[in-house]
Amino acid sequence: MDASSSSMQARRDEILAKKAKLAELKRQRELRQKEFSVARQSIGDASELVSPVPSRADNRKELDSLISSLVGDSRPGSTGPASVSASPARRSRPTSVANVSQLSGESLGDVGTSASTSAVPVSPPAPQRLSVAPIITVIETPSDPKPAPEYVTYSKAVQTDDSWALPRDQGVGADEGEDDEWAPEYKSSRSSKRMSRRDREREEELRENIRREIEDELKALQQSGTDAIAANGTGTQTANFPARALTNEELNAVTSQRDFLDFVERSSKVIERALDNEYDILADYAFRAEREVDEDEDGYGWRGKGGRRVKEIAQFWDERWSKRRMITDLGFSPKFPELVLAAYTKSPIAPHDPPGLVQIWNMHMPSRPEYILHGSSDILCAKFSPFHPSIIVAGTYSGQVLLWDTRKNSHTPTQRTPLTGAGAGHGHSHPVYGIDIVGTQNANNIISCSTDGVVCGWSIDMLTQPAEYLELSVPAALSKIEDIAPTCIAFPTTDPTYFLAGTEEGTIYSCHRYDRAGAKAGVDAKVAYRGHAASVMSLDFHPARGAVDLGDLVISSSIDWSVKIWRVRPPAAAVTGLDSNPQTAGAGLTPGLSGTSGLGAASATAGGVNLGAGGVGPLLEITREDLVYDARWSPVRPGVFACVDGAGSLEVWDVNADVEVPVQKVQPSDDWKEKHPGASSRSAQPGSLSKCAWEPNEGKRIVTGGLDGVVSVFEVGGMLGGVEGVRVEEWAGVKKRVGAWERGLGGNAFANGR
Amino acid sequence: MEQSASEETLNHLTRLSQKPGVQSTLVLSRETGAIVRTSGLISNSSSANPNSTLPPSGDSTTTADGYTNGTPGGTQSAEDVARLVWTFVTAAGTMVEGLDGKDGEVKLLRVRTRKNELVIVPDSKFLLVVIHDTPPA
Repeated sequence: MDASSSSMQARRDEILAKKAKLAELKRQRELRQKEFSVARQSIGDASELVSPVPSRADNRKELDSLISSLVGDSRPGSTGPASVSASPARRSRPTSVANVSQLSGESLGDVGTSASTSAVPVSPPAPQRLSVAPIITVIETPSDPKPAPEYVTYSKAVQTDDSWALPRDQGVGADEGEDDEWAPEYKSSRSSKRMSRRDREREEELRENIRREIEDELKALQQSGTDAIAANGTGTQTANFPARALTNEELNAVTSQRDFLDFVERSSKVIERALDNEYDILADYAFRAEREVDEDEDGYGWRGKGGRRVKEIAQFWDERWSKRRMITDLGFSPKFPELVLAAYTKSPIAPHDPPGLVQIWNMHMPSRPEYILHGSSDILCAKFSPFHPSIIVAGTYSGQVLLWDTRKNSHTPTQRTPLTGAGAGHGHSHPVYGIDIVGTQNANNIISCSTDGVVCGWSIDMLTQPAEYLELSVPAALSKIEDIAPTCIAFPTTDPTYFLAGTEEGTIYSCHRYDRAGAKAGVDAKVAYRGHAASVMSLDFHPARGAVDLGDLVISSSIDWSVKIWRVRPPAAAVTGLDSNPQTAGAGLTPGLSGTSGLGAASATAGGVNLGAGGVGPLLEITREDLVYDARWSPVRPGVFACVDGAGSLEVWDVNADVEVPVQKVQPSDDWKEKHPGASSRSAQPGSLSKCAWEPNEGKRIVTGGLDGVVSVFEVGGMLGGVEGVRVEEWAGVKKRVGAWERGLGGNAFANGR
Repeated sequence: MEQSASEETLNHLTRLSQKPGVQSTLVLSRETGAIVRTSGLISNSSSANPNSTLPPSGDSTTTADGYTNGTPGGTQSAEDVARLVWTFVTAAGTMVEGLDGKDGEVKLLRVRTRKNELVIVPDSKFLLVVIHDTPPA
């Protein structure tokens, strides 16, 4: 028994030793465990990180063998409870138990430095440290579930940014949110940690992408907006706009079209008018006040003060057509006060141009004529028809009478009378210096008069044959020379049946268009107005349109350097009561004449020594310093007339003011030469003025022109023109003066007669 | 006679383009906007017909002057101007038709800009455009 008891004792000691060793191992393991759990306190669980270490599998085998060798056949279950009690926290995570036990095993092996396990401690320490290090580096933050709010704010921000991109943006945001919100819950904490970091990066990336996308979208939207606008506005046209450049053939076809030419004619005129209108309708006087004052102080072009001034307002000259031509006649349109007619002689330097030229100028378009009318011969006189605003008639050097209709838009005359050679009764064979249209609106005729004394009446509708034909000849009672060479004719305003004819020799004859009782048509045999010593250049009846009838006053101008005012006797035929007695009628004592007039006429006849048979002298004679080419009554002022002379002066007279000196005397400026450098080669001295004409309705404008072919328009002040300021006294004053002139004339004649 | 008359008419355009202050002129077809005549504008399209620019008048020096009349650097391509003007005229035509009914017709357009003024005369078949300087205001 002793032996057995001793052996039992020995066995008991061995067991105790082993137990002690186990306890020591346990203690060691707990220490380690404590240390370990402290180290990863915040981590919670990251145990799987440690699991797959291959070296540990070997350790495990060694460990197992060690334990089995130590414990022998005793089941590890005895140690199980101990280990469980030592780390109760580990039980909740079954996966980690083995690991921890491994770890503890390692430390156990490590601590238990038995010979059999001496090989073990060499290798284990390294894996241990390796396993710990990664855990520390992967320090997790407990913020795992927090990303969600971030996404909310993010997507909100995007939403507020671009409302119209909302649907799409939301879609994107939702996708993102789904990923980001759900992923962490399903993934392990460790992966989610890594995910969240990656997500953050990706998030940034996505945000960037979205921003870019939105910007692109915005851009695209704007682009498409403008594109749409472009498409609506011009896009379709841009596509086919310059459909193609026209080919030469097409260009030629287009540009030679009548339509095109008409269009150019019309539209270029419109544009010239628009451009020539110098008044700037956008003028801002707040800024330009000073300049305006300056210009006014300049008094540019004005002569005289206030109502008696005469100002040049326009000049017309055309490089192409006016060059080297002289003005032969001028006139305003009775219908359109801005239109001015000018007739020209032929140009010696342009033999291929039509010799005859009439230009219709527009006051609003000084740069170019409104119409250019051509004739086959020099045009000596021209006139707007007072009854048809579009009709212009002219007499030519060749003896033709021409008629243009501006509606036809053609340079050539619409109608013309036949040339000479057709024999007597078919028209003029000499230059036509006098032309007029007389009658009424519905019954009017063109009356033309040539220097051979032929007077023709034409119907406007038919110029092939004169409606009237009259050859003037001076009756033997008035002169020994039968021939008459009229240089001008004038019709009274009220009576189209008789007219005055000024002649080359200076006498003015009264002529009847029609036969009357006791007298043939033609020159009135009983009266001749003598006084001019040279050719009569113009005759003008007073336009009686006022309180007093001054319609029998005639003004004449002559190259004898004088202007004369006459009182003409009404034609004897008008006095029906005396028709049967030619002798009485011949005495010129008609009821229509005032006593003084009758006395004057009688005395003129009585004093026929210097006036010749039937001669009547002028009421008033105004001697000038040069040839007087034209003299015209103002259409609105009874005492005002204008005349132009060979010195190039325009004079405006008012018989109410003075009969010795003109009220105003001006010369056309040279401004036109500056505008037309091509004309500067001409002589510097002012060319003589050959014609002047008043604007018939307002009487405020006078047009003049002469040798240099320049048409100048003047405007007169309120004292000399315009219908507003006309006083009745002016008419009475003229009447009184006429009476005084007649008395003086009569007195002289009476004295002569004694 | 007919030939000379047409030449004379075309001279009006040349003269117009040489008026002081006039920068450029354009004649377009009303229907398609095709350029019939230009002056003072440089065509940037290679397909443009050089014959549609105005022929030089007799006096070459004044012509050259007329061509360079525009403000330096201010010349635009004829096609651009033509397109813009044509579009504008069409729009104006639509407006007038809206106001006056079918018989409405644009007779004249004057467009004043800070730089210049465009005077446009539309007609049934063509339209004429003149771009000119305005008095400094």
